Amino acid sequence: MRSLFCFSGFKFVRFQRGFIVLGDFEYKRIRSIDEGCHCLAEAAGKAAVLAGGTDLLVEIRNHLKSPKVLIDCKNVDALKQVHVDRSGSAIGASVPLNRLIENRAFHTTYPALATALLSIGTYQLRSRATLAGNICNASPAADSAPVLLVLDASVEVVGIRGPRSIPIRDFFVGVKKTVLTPDEIVVSIQIPQRADLHTTFLKQQRIRGHDLAVVNMAGAYSPGERILRLAIGSCAPTPVLLEPIKVDVGNVASFAGHVAEIVLSSVSPISDVRASSGYRNAILPVLVKRILHNLLAEGGAS
Amino acid sequence: MTRELSYVGKPIPRADAIDKVTGSASYTHDLCLPGMLHTALVLSPHASARIVAIDSQNAEALPGVRAVLTGRGLCYQLGLYMQDKCILARDVVRYQGEAVVAIAADTLDIAKAACQLVEVQYDLLPTVLDPREAMDASAHLVHPDLHTYEHMEGVFFPKAHTNIAHHQKIRKGSFDQAFEGADSTLTASFYNPPVQHVPMETHVSVAQALPGKRMEIWTSSQSPYTVRHLMSVCFDLPHAHVRVHVPYVGGGFGGKAGLGLEPLAYVLSRAAGGRPVKVAATREQEFNTLPSRQGLHSTIEIGASRDGKIVALKSTYVWDAGAYADYGVNIGRAAAYSGAGPYSIDNCWIDSFVVYTNKIFGTAYRGFGHLEILWGIERAMDLMARRLGMDPAEFRRRNLLKDGDTTITGEAFTSGHGNPLQCLESVAEAIDWGTPSEPSVDSYKVRGKGLAMLHKAPAMPTYTSCAVVIKLDEDGGGDILVSGVDYGQGTYTVLRQIAAEELRIPIEKIHITWECDTAFSPYDWQTVASRFAYMGGNAVIQAAADCLEQIRSVASQALNVAPEDLDFEDGVVFPKSDPTRGIPYSKLTLGYTFANGNSIGGPIIGHGRFIAKGLTHLDPETGQGLPAQYWTYGAHAVEIEVDTQTGEIEILNIVTALDAGKVLNPKLCIGQVVGGVVQGLGSALWEGFVFDAKGRFLNAGFVDYKIPTAKDIPRHMQQILLENPQPGGPYGARGVAEHPMISVPSAIGNALYDALGIEFNTLPLNYERILTRIKEKVEPS
Amino acid sequence: MHTIRFTVNGHVEQATVPATMTLLDLLRDRLALTGTKEGCGIGECGACTVLLNGNPITSCLMLAVEADGSDIETIEGEAIGGELSVLQQAFIDEGATQCGFCTPGMIMSARGLLNRIPDPSHEEIIEAIAGNLCRCTGYEAIISAIQLAAARLSQDIGSRDAQEGRAR
Ligand SMILES: Cc1cc2nc3c(=O)[nH]c(=O)nc-3n(C[C@H](O)[C@H](O)[C@H](O)COP(=O)(O)OP(=O)(O)OC[C@H]3O[C@@H](n4cnc5c(N)ncnc54)[C@H](O)[C@@H]3O)c2cc1C
Ligand code: FES
Ligand code: FES
Repeated sequence: MRSLFCFSGFKFVRFQRGFIVLGDFEYKRIRSIDEGCHCLAEAAGKAAVLAGGTDLLVEIRNHLKSPKVLIDCKNVDALKQVHVDRSGSAIGASVPLNRLIENRAFHTTYPALATALLSIGTYQLRSRATLAGNICNASPAADSAPVLLVLDASVEVVGIRGPRSIPIRDFFVGVKKTVLTPDEIVVSIQIPQRADLHTTFLKQQRIRGHDLAVVNMAGAYSPGERILRLAIGSCAPTPVLLEPIKVDVGNVASFAGHVAEIVLSSVSPISDVRASSGYRNAILPVLVKRILHNLLAEGGAS
Repeated sequence: MTRELSYVGKPIPRADAIDKVTGSASYTHDLCLPGMLHTALVLSPHASARIVAIDSQNAEALPGVRAVLTGRGLCYQLGLYMQDKCILARDVVRYQGEAVVAIAADTLDIAKAACQLVEVQYDLLPTVLDPREAMDASAHLVHPDLHTYEHMEGVFFPKAHTNIAHHQKIRKGSFDQAFEGADSTLTASFYNPPVQHVPMETHVSVAQALPGKRMEIWTSSQSPYTVRHLMSVCFDLPHAHVRVHVPYVGGGFGGKAGLGLEPLAYVLSRAAGGRPVKVAATREQEFNTLPSRQGLHSTIEIGASRDGKIVALKSTYVWDAGAYADYGVNIGRAAAYSGAGPYSIDNCWIDSFVVYTNKIFGTAYRGFGHLEILWGIERAMDLMARRLGMDPAEFRRRNLLKDGDTTITGEAFTSGHGNPLQCLESVAEAIDWGTPSEPSVDSYKVRGKGLAMLHKAPAMPTYTSCAVVIKLDEDGGGDILVSGVDYGQGTYTVLRQIAAEELRIPIEKIHITWECDTAFSPYDWQTVASRFAYMGGNAVIQAAADCLEQIRSVASQALNVAPEDLDFEDGVVFPKSDPTRGIPYSKLTLGYTFANGNSIGGPIIGHGRFIAKGLTHLDPETGQGLPAQYWTYGAHAVEIEVDTQTGEIEILNIVTALDAGKVLNPKLCIGQVVGGVVQGLGSALWEGFVFDAKGRFLNAGFVDYKIPTAKDIPRHMQQILLENPQPGGPYGARGVAEHPMISVPSAIGNALYDALGIEFNTLPLNYERILTRIKEKVEPS
Repeated sequence: MHTIRFTVNGHVEQATVPATMTLLDLLRDRLALTGTKEGCGIGECGACTVLLNGNPITSCLMLAVEADGSDIETIEGEAIGGELSVLQQAFIDEGATQCGFCTPGMIMSARGLLNRIPDPSHEEIIEAIAGNLCRCTGYEAIISAIQLAAARLSQDIGSRDAQEGRAR
C-alpha cells in the first residue's frame, strides 16, 4: 500500500481545529436601533458594535480588545440606507464601502470621498468595511476622516437617551477614542452637499498596494468665498481639521508655503515603524502643494 | 541526424495546475489525522535572556492539554552544517520570538489558552545586535559553547570563543600589491537588512511517534530526505524508521530547506503518547520565530587601471546570521567563492564572516546570498566605472569572464559556462542603453536607467546526488518517482517532458505523483540551489534509457531481431528494417506473452541517478578549488521614474537576460523569471526587518512588512532567455530558478544614481530613504 | 452556540457554531472545504477569499454566524461536474499558478470581478486582485489569465459559464 493518506485522492475531514482565534464573546444580531442601544447599555461598556468587523475582529484577535458581546447591526434596515441628493446625503452605518464607491451618484457628488474610500484596504475588505466603522474605530490614519472633516459631515447617533447629531470635527478625541458613550450607535453619516466646493484627497503610503496612510490629507475649496479647508490624518492623535484659510490666488507658490507652515504648526507627527516624523513633515508640504494645485487649478477654471 | 524535439523546449502547461485551480491540491496545512492534536507556542519576548524558571503547572492542568514541553527536557542539538540549535530554547533565549514552551492540545484554542497560563521568568542578558560589533573580542557570546558544536569538518571553520560561526577566505594573486599599483581605487560599504521569504503557506508539520521507535511526518518542506536524515540522526533511529511525506507545498524559496517544525511536532507526539501532532506557524510566527534571510554588511575595494581593467578586488562580508547559523555558514561560504561577481580578477581577497547575533536566524533564501553580495558588487562596479569616467556597461564588458579566464577559486572559464557578455549586450540593447530616458510628463519626476550583472552556482556539498525511478504502466505509460519537491517552480513538468522525450511516448502518458514519500520515492538531497531540473533531468534521462534497454531486450526476443536493430517511436518498439512489425510498449511493460502463452521479461522499472561531478572542498586558507557544478549568468537593465517630492519610485521597464543553456519549458521558465524579478523588487524597494534598540522585531506581519502586490509590479517586464548549452546539463540546460531575483536591487540602485546623482548603499530603497537622501543633497546639513 | 443556515456552492448547509468561529474555520474545519486557504488571518493576504452573495470577501474577517441566510461560493464550486470553468482553464493556460496556495483566493477574486464587470480593464483587474498576495508568480500571468478568460467569455464560445449565465 502506497500510503494511508493519499493527498491527491481523498481528504481528511478535520475534527474541529478550535476557534480561540477570536477570544470569547457572544454574538447578538439586532433588529432595531433601540434594541441595540439597550443591549449596549446593559453590557455597560463590555459590548461592541459589529459592522464590517475589519477593525474589530483584528483587534480581538490581537488581544487589543476583548468585548463580551458583539452587537451586529447589519440587519437593521435603517442602517442600510444610502441617500444622495441635492440637499445632502445620509450614509447608513452598515453600508459597505464598495456599495458607496460603486454608486454613481455618490461618486459624482463626493469624488474626493470616493477616492478616499477606494484607498482603504483591498476590494475584499471594502465589501465588508463601513464608513461608520472607519470613523468609530478612530484611527488617526482613518482615510475617510479628512474628507468628512472638510465637508463638515455630522454623525447621527442614537443612544438610550435618544438621538443626537455630532459634528465630525467634535467626534474624535484621541487615538481610537470618540465622544460616543457606550450605549450609542452611529446610525448614519450626514454629508452636506455643496455643489460649489472643489474637493480632493491625497494619501501617501509606503507601497502602491494596500497600506495605511503615512500621511493623508483632504482639501475643500470654495471659489466663491475663496475659502480653503484642509484636514490631515496620521500626524496627530486624531485627524486634524484646520481653521478655514482665506485663499490668495495671486501667488499660488507663496500661498502654498504659507499653508504648509500652518499645517506643520497644527500637527505633531510621531515616528513609528511606518515612517519617521521627519518623513511625515517632509510629505506634508508636498501634499499641501498638490492639493492646492488640484483645487486652485479646478477652482480657477470654473 | 538529430531528432526534432517533441516535448523538451515546449510550453507544456504544468500538470499540477488542475489540482491547484480547483482547490483540490492538499497542502500540509489542510491535513487532519484522526486524533490529531494542535500546537501553540510561548515565545520569548526578549532578544537575549536566561530562562530562570518556567511554571507550566496551570497549563498542564487544563483539560484537553496533552503535552507541555520546554527546552529543559530536550537535549538535542540539530543542524545540517552546524549543530547549534535546540528544539526549544534551552536555558537561554537568543532572539525575540524564539519558542520557549510548546503545548499540544485537543484543539488550538485549548493550546492557546494553556500558553496564556504559562509563566516564564527571565534574567536579561547582554544583547548583541550588530554583527560587526559581535566580532569584537569583548562582545557578548551568543553561543559560548561554539567550540563544542558538531559541524561539517573541513568545510566550515567556527572560531572558538567568538561569535564567528564560519570564516571563508578566498586568496588569489596578491591583492595588496595590485591595489597599491592601481590607477584608481574605490572603497565602498553596503548593507542589506534581514528579510523574510513569505511563502503563502507558512511552515507546518504533522508528526506521529509510532511504536517500535518509528515516526511518520507530513511536512511543508523542500527536502524530504534531509528531514529524514536529520531526524534519524537527532533521535538515533534507523533511517527507514523515519517516514517523511511532503504533499503540495505552498511556497518555500529556501525557507523550508532545512529542518523546520518537524522535530518539535515529533517530540510533542512522543510526549502525547503517540497521537499525531500538528505544528502550524501563524503568520506572525513565520516572521518572528522561523528563519529569515541573513542581513549583510559588505565592504568592497576595487583597484582598476586607467583603461578600465580591474586589477584588484577585495570584499569583506559580515553576515548577520542571527541566533543560529546552520544554513548561514553555507551562505557565507557560497558568498565567498562567488564574491567577486562574474568578472575576471587576478588579484582577489575575500573574507566572509558568518556572525551570531541576538536576532531571528537566517537560512537559505532564493539566491543564497547572491542578491546580497551583488548589491554591493554591482553598485561598486558602477561607482568604479564613473570614477574612471567610463560607461558602466563598457566597464563591465572589459572585465566579464570570458573563455580562457579563471574564476577567483581557480576554475577555468570556458564557453560551456554560458555567455555573460551576451547577457549584458542583450539587456543593454533592449533598454536602449546609452540613450537617456525620455523626460517624465511631471516636472518633479526624474527618470534613469541602470544595469547589473548576476551569477550564481548551486551551493551544495560535493557529494550531492539524486535518483529517479520510472516504472512503466500496463497502458505503456510511465510513473516517475522522485523526492525532489515541486513547490511551484515547475520541475515535475520538466521531468515529464524529458521522460516523454526520452521514452518516446506521449507526455499525457507520463505521470508524477505529487506527494514525496521517503518510503517509496528514491533519494534526492534537497530541492534547493536551482539544481533539481539539472540533476533530476539527468537522472530521468538515465532512468528512461534503462527502461528502453529493458524493452529492447524483451522486444528483441519477441520479434526475433538483434537488439541493436530496434528503434523506438510513439510508444512502439520496432525493427529499423520494418517499422510495421512494431510492438506497443503496453505489450511489454509487464512482460511479453507469446501466442502460445509463454511469457518473458517482467515489469519494467528503470533507474537513473546523478551525483555532482568533480567538486572539491575549498582550501581553507586560499579558497581555491572547484565549488560549482555549473554557473548561470544573467543581467538586468531597468528604467525607473522617481518622484523627487515624495521619494516614490516606479519601475517603468525591467529587462532580464539569463543564459539558461537550454530552455526546457519557456512558459515555466518565464514564470520563474517574472516571479523572481518581482520578488527581487520586494527586496529592492520595501522589504526589511525593523528592530528596536532591544532587538525586538517591529514589523512581524503583513500590516507593516509589505511585499509587492499586483499594483506594485513594473509597467513592463521583458525576458530574454539565451541558450548557450551547458555540457553535461540535460539537453544543455542549467538552473535558472533563483537567478531572476539576484541583482534586481543592484540595477535599481544604479538607475537611481542615473536619475538623481545620489549613491544609495543601503537597502531597501524605500520612499522615505530616497526622499531623505534627495533632501540631504538639496539642503546639505 | 448559534444555529445557522446558508448555502455553500448551491448546497444548503446547517451548522451550529460558537460566536467566535470565523467563516474561514467553518468552511475549512467543519465543512472540509480546504480549498480556501489561510495565509494571515487578518485580512491582509486574500488567501481566504470567498464570495458572499456574489461579492469577494476575506472569510478570516467574518464570523460564521454572520453567514446566516447568505450564499457562499468557494473554489470548490468553481468547476461544476468536474468540468473546469473558463476562468480556471485560463489560469492553467497562462501559467497563472505556481505553488498554488494563493490560487483559490485569486480565482474567487477574479470570479467576483467577472461577475461585476465582464470585460474588465487592466486597471480594474489589478484593483480586483491587489488584495490577493502571491509570492510566486509576479502577478503578470494572473492578470493575463483574467484577460484571457474575459475574452473567451465574451466570444461566447459556447462555454459552460456563458450557458449557465455565470459571469454574465
Ligand atoms: C487589511 C486591512 C487594511 C486596512 N486598510 C485601511 C486603510 O487603508 N485605511 C483605513 O482607514 N482603514 C483601513 N483598515 C481598517 C478598517 O478596515 C476600516 O477602518 C474600516 O472602515 C472599518 O469598518 P468596519 O465596518 O469593518 O468596522 P468594524 O471593525 O466593524 O468596527 C470598527 C469600530 O467601530 C465600532 N462601530 C462600528 N460601527 C458602529 C456603529 N454603527 N456605531 C457605533 N460603533 C460602531 C466598532 O465597535 C469598532 O470599535 C484596514 C483594515 C484591514 C484589516
Ligand atoms: S487569511 Fe484572510 S486575508 Fe489572509
Ligand atoms: S502561486 Fe504561490 S503564492 Fe501565488
